[in-house]
Order: sequence, then structure tokens, then C-alpha cells
Amino acid sequence: MIRKIYRLWPQRGLLLRIWSLTAALAVLQGLLLGLLVPILRALLRPEPDFAAATPWLVAGAVGLVLHQVLFVLSTPVEFGAGTKLAAQLRHHLMRQVTTLPLGWFTTERKAEFARTVTSVVGTLAPLTVLVGGPAITGVVLPLTVTAVTFAVDWRLALVLLGTLPLAVLALRRSRRIVAEVSVDMEVAGNEVAGRTIEFGQAQPVLRAAGHGSTGGARMRAALDDHCGRSLRALDRMLFPDLSYSGIVMAGYVLVLVLALQFLFTGTLSAPDTVALLVLVVRFLESLGGMIDHASGIGAMDYLADRVEEVRHVPALPRAARPVRRVDRADIEFSDVTFRYERGRPALSGVSFRCRPGTTTALVGPSGSGKTTVIRLIARFFDVDSGSVRVGGVDVRDLDHDVLLGEIAIVFQDVYLFDTTIEENLRVARPDATDADLAAAARAARLDEVLDRLPDGWRTRVGEGGHQLSGGERQRVSIARAFLKRARVVLVDEAASALDPENESAVNDAIAALAEDPERTVIVIAHRPTTLTSADQVIALDAGRVVETGTPAELRDTGGTFARIYHQYENARSWRISS
Amino acid sequence: MTTNTARADVSPTVDDQRKQSPDEEVPQLIGIGATARLLRPVWPHLIACATFSAVAAAAGAVPFVAIAEISRVLVTEGTEAASATVWAWAGAGAACAWLRLLLLGLSTHVGHKADTQLVRHLRLRIVRHLGVVPLGWFRAVGSGRVKKAVNEDLEAMHELVAHAVGGLVGAVTSILVGVGYLVSVDWRMALVTLAVPALGVLSYRWGMRSLSAQIPRLLAAESQISAASVEYVDGISVVKTFGGGGGGRVLDRFADAVREHVAAHNAWLAGVRASSMLNRALGSELTVLAVVLAAGLGFVGAGWLRFPDVLPFLVVGIGLPTSFGPVLHGAHGVRMARVAAGSIERLLAQEPLPEPANPRRPTGHRVELDRVTFSYDGVSNAVEEISAVCEPGTVTAIVGPSGAGKSTLASLVPRFYDVTGGAIRIGGVDVRQMSSATLLSSMSLVFQDVVLLRDTVRENIRIGRPDATHEEVLQAAKAAQVHDVIERLPHGYDTMLGTGESGLSGGEQQRLTIARAILSGAPIVILDEATASLDPDSEAAVQQALTELVAGRTVLVIAHRLHTITAADQILVLDRGRLVETGTHQELLARNGLYARMWRAQRNGDNA
Repeated sequence: MIRKIYRLWPQRGLLLRIWSLTAALAVLQGLLLGLLVPILRALLRPEPDFAAATPWLVAGAVGLVLHQVLFVLSTPVEFGAGTKLAAQLRHHLMRQVTTLPLGWFTTERKAEFARTVTSVVGTLAPLTVLVGGPAITGVVLPLTVTAVTFAVDWRLALVLLGTLPLAVLALRRSRRIVAEVSVDMEVAGNEVAGRTIEFGQAQPVLRAAGHGSTGGARMRAALDDHCGRSLRALDRMLFPDLSYSGIVMAGYVLVLVLALQFLFTGTLSAPDTVALLVLVVRFLESLGGMIDHASGIGAMDYLADRVEEVRHVPALPRAARPVRRVDRADIEFSDVTFRYERGRPALSGVSFRCRPGTTTALVGPSGSGKTTVIRLIARFFDVDSGSVRVGGVDVRDLDHDVLLGEIAIVFQDVYLFDTTIEENLRVARPDATDADLAAAARAARLDEVLDRLPDGWRTRVGEGGHQLSGGERQRVSIARAFLKRARVVLVDEAASALDPENESAVNDAIAALAEDPERTVIVIAHRPTTLTSADQVIALDAGRVVETGTPAELRDTGGTFARIYHQYENARSWRISS
Repeated sequence: MTTNTARADVSPTVDDQRKQSPDEEVPQLIGIGATARLLRPVWPHLIACATFSAVAAAAGAVPFVAIAEISRVLVTEGTEAASATVWAWAGAGAACAWLRLLLLGLSTHVGHKADTQLVRHLRLRIVRHLGVVPLGWFRAVGSGRVKKAVNEDLEAMHELVAHAVGGLVGAVTSILVGVGYLVSVDWRMALVTLAVPALGVLSYRWGMRSLSAQIPRLLAAESQISAASVEYVDGISVVKTFGGGGGGRVLDRFADAVREHVAAHNAWLAGVRASSMLNRALGSELTVLAVVLAAGLGFVGAGWLRFPDVLPFLVVGIGLPTSFGPVLHGAHGVRMARVAAGSIERLLAQEPLPEPANPRRPTGHRVELDRVTFSYDGVSNAVEEISAVCEPGTVTAIVGPSGAGKSTLASLVPRFYDVTGGAIRIGGVDVRQMSSATLLSSMSLVFQDVVLLRDTVRENIRIGRPDATHEEVLQAAKAAQVHDVIERLPHGYDTMLGTGESGLSGGEQQRLTIARAILSGAPIVILDEATASLDPDSEAAVQQALTELVAGRTVLVIAHRLHTITAADQILVLDRGRLVETGTHQELLARNGLYARMWRAQRNGDNA
């Protein structure tokens, strides 16, 4: 446990210092308690012998002052350590995540990672001090007391020593069961919460069906299930929970009975008996207190695993001697097959070529592999077989930064950083002049948007860019592509309807991108206009290329492209009537 | 002395503070009454739990008292003379040790059982209540509020019932028993011994007070860290494709946030340095040991006390500080539960939608809007004085710029809210005079945001008509263009939705809700932007499904894209909550008003 946490931290100095200090203080505390033995021996004689007790009292006073000074001085260090440890781990995780392939970043994983960096680390780091410290004390102090006891009576010391491993085992078992039960309860709890929310959202439907207040059978089942699980969990946890206290208590009874036995059979003196019993109380209290940290230790264990998961994701493989330049922006797929972690191949045997100065439109029904093609070019994932080449070089042999330096991706749902429009553009080229910015804005038809906004370039776009409309965000991201002078532009055209003004602006901007003779543009196309203006169309179906050609060639063949083209056109002329 | 939840370290943590700072919306003192009311169903259990816990704590003190007494008797009376007393105490100690364990188990058991019952009871109450509040309330507060009530608030109640009550009562009892015993030995020594943990609690309070000033800064820094890390991973593809520049900037912001967090924490520490050091020193058992020994020797020297009488303080007194942790901890749990209880009560106090005493049934399904006025806030009207008649078998389109009140108007028909002026009648009956079930079963609502239940495909389709046969479900699915999709699912019509197994696209889910509407056969259909966010691949199929759905019914449709409603029987043009034009497409074009302007703007876009 301690080892697991210790391994988690990239810099271990601070953690090591704090934990060793805690352990040293616990040893010192144990020894100071041990001084009670000679002190009580002296003072518990029929006539208290103060002279004999004095040296021990002095030693105790000195030790006590030393302990308290260390203890008190370490307070701010310890309290501050939680935050410092969190900072260390957070920096480390952020650096680590930068090395991961883009394909790793699914919505769930992104959310999970953000949770790990913030709340998981934020809870774990203070726990290593607040719970880790007492847990260390809870073991070291009883051990020290046991050692002192050995000096007085080895038989009783053996009993104490025997209690320790049993207690630790019981604690472990209890922790394991609590962990299992918590997972079980979390599942049931999520189920109930999910049902309740669903229940709220589905009210119109449920009320129409007369299930408004009863919640339907599944809701009641979820509640019953949760209730049943809670009771079962309780039954499972109760005994292991008590067994720890039981072992500690058994230790108490055994020591007490034996000590009295030894006393009455004359093998232990009365003062020693009293002194040992006082010590044993400290031993048991310290050990018994561990149960209060059991849940904290369990939480640490769980949180550490969560951090560990992120740390163990393999980074994107690097070529031994990566190619550091791309000559031409040719894109070539040869016989590419790729499958996601689970499931059927997303692409199989895909081959095509896109030349600089041309625009290629990808079409196909949803799930046909269009997005996967774009992801493989930017090396979100590596192909299973075949190869993806940019400028004639396999993307796996290219330096990843060089590859990404050539590519601009214009997504359907563009993400903008929560800062000004200018800053969001400068991300593409920090040293761009104002003239560069203006030119890019003009080419992307962003200038109209800027003119309309009172703060122009200095307009803040809000979290995720949501102060701007979808079309406006796309124009920002196209402007970024211009500013970056990316030679490969990958566009995932907005599928849902943009408002008419934005739609024509975005169309113009994409067309302008394609005018550069050095640039290769690939568009996942959803609009008839984009489809007809492409130089080349690649139609995909179920991960295979089914048609390749110019739009004019393919429109009348009756194939996939023709079907989709007409479908798009029909959708645009549909009207509702009774 | 050891109690069930002793926490040796009573140092303040930021976390404690945060949890203590009340919800913005909740004044802190509210909630005592609410807590008592909510707990009523489990009072007997709680009393039993507290009693067991108290007796357990008292029994738990005996083993320590036994050791103290044994020590005292041995020294004062000599080994031989004390033998009987000593064994008696040993027996009592051992017996009470086991008794404590037994009672602790009972207390935990009763507490958790009460907790399980209470949570179930409260959830049922919440669920029952959700079934009667106005539908609009869900839209206004969002599911987040409901989620908070069923998760976090109930979790706080769980803490209270299952842990805090027993823990608090136990800790207080063990302090009282311990102090009582020590006072019986020597009240002056007891006073001195008790002074140490008492000062500790005071210093804790002092530290807590001075720290609240730093909380906003710490929380701000934490949310900055969170925002920066979310931003970084959300924008990771931008960060990566745009090279070091962009990524660097976001990483810098993250680093700044982390630095600020450490700085804020240090600032807080600087503020509580003295109090936390003092608190730690006072909470240490060595401090009590030193005080007891020094005072004890002093008292012995002064002749007030014999040395053996110091022993109880060494055995029982040293353990006292550890009992103060659980007291603070339990008090904290009670405070949290109070806040949560207030929040749950407010949810339950939400006014239910008035149901008519003598519900009437509509004759026919003509929808009549009669000078309909509605205001969300009671100050400005979202829709005002709107009158129109939707005849059965016709399509009425509602159009207008965003914010014109289109969705508000449509949501008044199913009584998401009640009108604040005028009336809405269906088949001649005011919607407020119909029962919710009658009203809602007379209409199908198809909105942009699809609501599917985590149930099988079949149950999702026939939720409005649970008695529908498989054949009827099949027909509806076919009409909604979704039958083929369902057949391809791993378990066909028995596939569970919402478990990640189905993987239906947005358009397919939308068609499933249309199949539901088709099967229900409700004579009135309300469509709100049903196709606005679909990808073009599904759009055509959804459109076909809609064509099937609306045939022959009273249809109210809200549309952005005007070409979809050019064939409507009447178009209501709304602007800022008022009805500005009514007519067919041709009539409105000829009129050359707002509709004609909107139409021209969209044509330009389409032709681009």
C-alpha cells in the first residue's frame, strides 16, 4: 500500500522526508512512553523514591521537548505537503498526457483524465499525509512499545507481537471487503441515480402512459435492488469490521490475564505489572485507532489505482530515426486496414491518393469509415496493416510534431480556448504579424464576424468558444489553418444545419483553402455544393472504398455517391404536410 | 479511550472547511426542522442506534478503568490483599470489552438498516413528487438538481443516519464516562487533564475561523486547475496540431493555476500556522502525559494526592484527546445533513401541477389557442395574446426569430406550464380541466433532445401503449424507418438501450421516438425542431418517418428551415412573443413582411 503510493510520485523526496519524520516521531514517542516503566518502578514503591525517578524524569523531559519541537515545527511542512505533492503529480500527469496518441482522447477518457488531474489527485495527495502519516504511526508506535516491553517481560511482549500481524491481516480483509462492497454499492447507486434522472426527463411520456408517479417497474426495481444490496453489503461488512476490534480486544484480555497470572505467581513485580499495563493501554489505543483510518486507506488505494491507470497508457511509438521534413503534401493510403479496440474493422484494404492543389470529398453512410480516414492521416491511431504516407513517407516514420505541423484539422465541433479570438488564432503561429492575422481572417471570411463584434479581435470566446455560433467557430478554425499555412487540411464538414449566412461563408472559406496549389484538402462532405465542387470523390461503405472518381463521373452511375447525393438533395427539399 | 470512530488528528483540513461552507442557496441555520421531519420514519431505529452506541461507549471505558483500578489497588493494598478485587476488575474489563463489541455491532447494524430504509423512503418520495410537479420545472432546473438530490443530498443523510449519530453519541458518552471517572478519583487533577483537549478544541475553532477568508481563493484556484486541465484535453488535437505555441500557452495556464493553488494554500497556512501548531501540540498524547505527570507529581508533593491516584490519569486521561476528534467529526456530519435536508425539503415543497377535481374528456381534437399569454417570471411575457385554431388533419407551423417564443408556446399545449392568461382548449375542453394522463395521451411530443429509457427497444416503443402486440410494434417501427436498424442490433427488439450495447445514432434514436409516437396513435402531434441537429445521412429517413407520423393528425410544428413548412395549412409568425402574421406560405410571401424577409434570407443561404 505505502509502496504503491510511493511509486506513484515522480519526485519522491518530499514524500520520503515527511514519512520518515513521521516514523521517527513515532519511535521517539514509543520510547518516551517506555520511560514510564523506570519512572513508575521508582514511584510505585511503598515509599515513592523521587531520587531514583529523577534521572528518568529529566531524560523524559528532554525527550519530550525534542519530540514536541520537531512535531510542532513539522506541522506547517506537513500541512503544506499535501498541496505540493498534488502539484508534483499534476504536472507529471499533464506532461504524460501530451505524449499519448490523439486517438486515446475519447470523450469519456477526457472527462476521466480531467477528473483524475483535479479531484482524484486533489484528494489523494492530502490523504498521503493526513492518513498515510497516522497509518505509519499506527504501526511504528505499537512496534516500539512492543520493543520496550521486551526489555521488561518477554512473554507479554510476545503476546503483543502476536496481536500485530493478526490485526493487520484483519484490517486488510476488512478493507478488501469494503472495497468490493463499495464497488457494488456504487453500481447500484448509479443505477438508481440514472433511473431517477431518466425518470425526470421522460415525464411527458411516462405521464401519458399513466406511470407518472409510480416511476414504472424499472425504477421500482432499481430502488429495491439498491435497498437489497445495501442490506447485503451491511451483512458482509459487519463481521470483518468488528473482527479487527475483536482481535485488539482479545489482545487486551490475554495480556491482562497473563500479567495478573505472572504477578500472582511471583514472576512479575507489582510496579512492573502496573507499568506494563499502562504501556499496553497505549499499545492497544494506538493499534485500535487504525480502524478509523481504514476507510481513508481504502480511499487512497482506490485513488492510487485511478492515477496508475492514466500513467500506464502507452505513449505513441516513436521511430528510431524519424524523418524531419515533408517535401510535398501528397497523401497516399495503400491497402490500409484498421480496427478500433473492439469490433469489426473500421477500414479494410483502403487505397487512394490525394495530390497537392486538389480537394477530395469523402462520402458514405454514417459508420462507413470517413472519420477514421482523417484520424489515420493525423496519426490518432496507427494502422493495423498497410500504410499511410504523407509526402511519400510513412507517417510512422515521420517525426510526429513535424507531421502535425503540416496538418490543420477543421472539426465539426470546433474547440476554442477560453480567451480572445486573436489568441485563438495566434495558437497557429505565435509570431504572426497583424497583417498575417488580417489576411487569414479575410480568407476564412472571419472578417465579417470581427466587424460585427464590438470588441473585434479582442472578443472573448468563452468556455469552449461557446460565445460564438457553430459557424463562427468553424470560421475561426479555418482562419487558423490559413495562418498556419498548413499544407494538409482535413475538414469534417458540419453535418447539422448551420444558419444560412454561416453556411455560405464556411463554403467560401473551404473553397479558398483549396486554391493554394501546394495544399491538399480532404473534406468529409455533407452538402451537395461541397460534393459537386470537389476534384475527386472517394465513396466509402462499411470500411471499403466503393467508388473513386470526379463528381460528374459518379453522379449518374447509380452507385453510393449518386444515392447519397440525391438523398442530400431530397432532404433539402422535404416538406411536412398532413 | 478508544471509541468506534476516534480520529486522533483533529487538525483542520481545507476539505472540512469547504464542506462546511454552506451552499450558496442555503442559509446555514435552516434545516434543523427539515432534518427532524425527514428523519421521522426512522426515529425508533435512530434512538436504538444511539442507545446502543452510548452503552457501547460506556462499556468500552470499563477495560481502561479496570486497568487503572487494578494498578491503584495493587499499589495501595499490596499484591496479596488486592487479589480478589484485582480479579473482579479484570473480569469486568474483559466482559465489558466483549459487551462493547457486541453493542457496537448492533448499533452499526441498526444505524445502517435505518439508513437503508430512510434512503429508500426518501427516494420514493422524491420520485413520487417528480411525477406531479409541472413538466416545465424539469426544463427550468435541469436534471442536475434532481441528480444532486438523489445523489449528494441523500449521501449526506446517509452519513448522518449511518455514521454521525452513532459516532457523535458514542464519542460524547465516552468523554462523559471518562471525565466522570476521573472526577471521582480527584476533581482537581481531572480539571487539569481535561484542560488540554479543551484548549485543543478552542484552538481548532480559532484556526477554522481565521481560515474561511482564504477559502474563496483556494476554491478559485482549484476550479482554475480544473478548467485548465479540461481545456487542455478538450483542445488536445488543436494543441497538438498547432504545435508548441498553443499547447505551451494552455500548459502555462495550468502551471499558473497549480502554482496559485500552492500559493493560496500557503497563504492559508500562514494564517493558521500558530493555531494549527498549537492544536497539534495540544492534541498529542505526550502533552497530556507530561501535564498529568507534572501536575500529579506537584499534587503529590503538595500532599493533595497519593501517587497511586495519579495512575488513572495516566491510563484513562491520556486517551481523552482522541475522543474529541469524533465529536468534531460527528458535529460536522450533522451540519452537512442539515444543509442537505433543507435542500431535499425544498425539492419536495415544489408546487404540484393542479389536477382538476372533476376531470373532463375532450370531444374531438381541435386545438384552440385563445388569447394565450404566459410569463416565466411574472414580469415580462414570453408569449402574449396569441389566438389561433388548429383543425384536425392540418399542419400548423410556428416560425420566428430565435427568442420569439415558439418553443414556449408549444410547451403550453401539453401543460409544461400553465398559461398566465387566456386558455388553451382541446376538443373544446380547457387543458387545465383534463387529467394529466388524458391530456398527455392525446398527444405525441417529438423534440430535438431524444429521451430513451434504459429498457429494451420494444418497451421503449410501446411505452405509451404497454398492451401493444409485437405485430403492432413492428408496424410502427417499419413506418418510422427504423425496423431494419433494430433487426441489425445484437438482440433485435430485445436489445437494451442506454447500456452502450445498442450504438444507435442520433437519427436512429429519433426514429425510435417517432415509432413510439406512431404506435401511441395520439391524434395531436407536436414537433419541436425535430430534424435540426441530425446528420444528413439520417435526415432523409427521419423525414420519411415524420411524414408517416403526421398523416391525418392535428400537427403543431416548430421549424427553423422554412422550406420544410411551405406546405403547412397555416403558418404562425411570432416575433418577441407576439403573433405578427398568420397565413399560408403564399399568402405570407405576398404580404412581404417578416416571414418574407426570413424566407429571402434563407434562400440566399441555400443557393450559395
